[in-house]
Amino acid sequence: MRTSVIVTALGPDSHGLLAAVATTVAAQNANVDDVSQTVANGLFTMIMFVSFDETETTMVALKDALEATGERVGLQINVQHENIFKFMHRI
Amino acid sequence: MVFITEQEILETVSMIRSENLDVRAVTMGISLSDCGGRDPGKVAERVRAKIVQRAGRLVGVADELEHKYGIPIVNKRVSLTPIAHVLGSDDPAAYVEVAHALDAAAEEIGIDFVGGFSCLVQKGFTRADSALIEAISEAISGTRRVCSSVNVASTRAGINMDAVVRMADVLKSVSQKTAAEDCIGCAKIVVFCNVPEDNPFMAGALHGSGEPEVSVNVAISGPGVVRNAVASHPEASLIELADLIKRTAFKITRVGELVAREASQMLGAQMGIIDLSLAPPPAVGDSIAEILESMGLGQVGAPGTTAALALLNDAVKKGGTMATSSTGGLSGAFIPVSEDAAMAKAAADGVLSIEKLEAMTAVCSLGLDMIVVPGDISRSALAGVIADVMAIGMINAKTTGARLIPAYGKTVGDWVTLGGLFGEAPVMGVSSATNDAFVARGGRIPAPLQSLTN
Repeated sequence: MRTSVIVTALGPDSHGLLAAVATTVAAQNANVDDVSQTVANGLFTMIMFVSFDETETTMVALKDALEATGERVGLQINVQHENIFKFMHRI
Repeated sequence: MVFITEQEILETVSMIRSENLDVRAVTMGISLSDCGGRDPGKVAERVRAKIVQRAGRLVGVADELEHKYGIPIVNKRVSLTPIAHVLGSDDPAAYVEVAHALDAAAEEIGIDFVGGFSCLVQKGFTRADSALIEAISEAISGTRRVCSSVNVASTRAGINMDAVVRMADVLKSVSQKTAAEDCIGCAKIVVFCNVPEDNPFMAGALHGSGEPEVSVNVAISGPGVVRNAVASHPEASLIELADLIKRTAFKITRVGELVAREASQMLGAQMGIIDLSLAPPPAVGDSIAEILESMGLGQVGAPGTTAALALLNDAVKKGGTMATSSTGGLSGAFIPVSEDAAMAKAAADGVLSIEKLEAMTAVCSLGLDMIVVPGDISRSALAGVIADVMAIGMINAKTTGARLIPAYGKTVGDWVTLGGLFGEAPVMGVSSATNDAFVARGGRIPAPLQSLTN
């Protein structure tokens, strides 16, 4: 079964942040479906739509890997199933 | 396909990471209708086995959902058919034995609390009710996770003043027995008027007679989110403020709806209700009092507090009912003094009195909640305070509850530290005028007229 999650990353800007996150996603056999990022006043904000096959990785493994990357590069990274975003704002 | 904007995504993340949005409790209601009997040993074993069988996966499922959606689920609980309806014994010791079985089952499956050591006596006592009330003191002071509630009043039956007085005695006894832990036993006892049958919040949760075999009820939270929304709009008029709170409550409730749907499916239970309550934990920044202060009050307890709370409570319900068709429980803003740091401070500063809290009870959820009173309070005075809260619920056809903590050996101004989500609070003063003759009359205050409602 394919699972879609939304990865958000926030933190002070520096070189290679998007690459670090994308590399971690790829290493987990997950796919980047869409991504947007901005830098404002030195603050890096990224939203990445990621999907994966549950036979290839799990939510927990992806989360652990991305959180470890976040710690290494100085970003606060959240991984959440897309349904919480779909559900919260609309009926 | 549902379109999600970047702003909505970042708002959701911010609500959880910066504003303490969480799901306060996932509570599984379990019917014990097939566990009854008169032999306490057999009933205790049947009840223990059913709790473990039906709720054994509750903590695991809640943890799984917490990981999936990145939202904390703070408490996992079980509510039960009132034990007085299950154990048909007139021996208090039998109820104490069952309470220990409940405690053991709760520990075995890793939940925070189990509720339902309860009875409904608004019109009178059965022998089982009477024995259960007799057993509450020993049962609650001798267990860690068991919660007790007794419904002593309703709009249709009036107030059973004999039951009110007996509960005053129970509270004084539990206060003394748990004095070494700042009387924490009293935090696990609620006296109700119009008790809801599907409430997910402790200490008052029970699984009513109209409920299904097994249900999942979810209590939302999020005072911090509402407070930030209010604080960031200092220019808003009260109408605009109400709309803002409605929109925020909608979003908070949608999260509860998502968790309730998924948890009930995973646990093979019927989806119960979403309790549209703003429940404060003791953390600074996550407080009902701070919402009211952000609305423009210098400190909670100032003139206008009841009006501000009425606006907040109504807007939360309006926003919440748009977000789910399964509302229930207590649904409203809570004002537990010890669990709300800013409220406890206002009480210590002398700005917030018991009388003001009583007025606030008339426009919000629950009632005099987690309020510490002097340890030497008389039985009549304590019964009088409880009766006043019950009267507000009875006349206004709403649920009210009293969770009062007589602080054994302490007096006005001393602090009581209950720990964890129970928080800490100062001992508050109660009028010293006597009411002994009124309370001593006993009997029942009749049910009120439902017309001529001025």
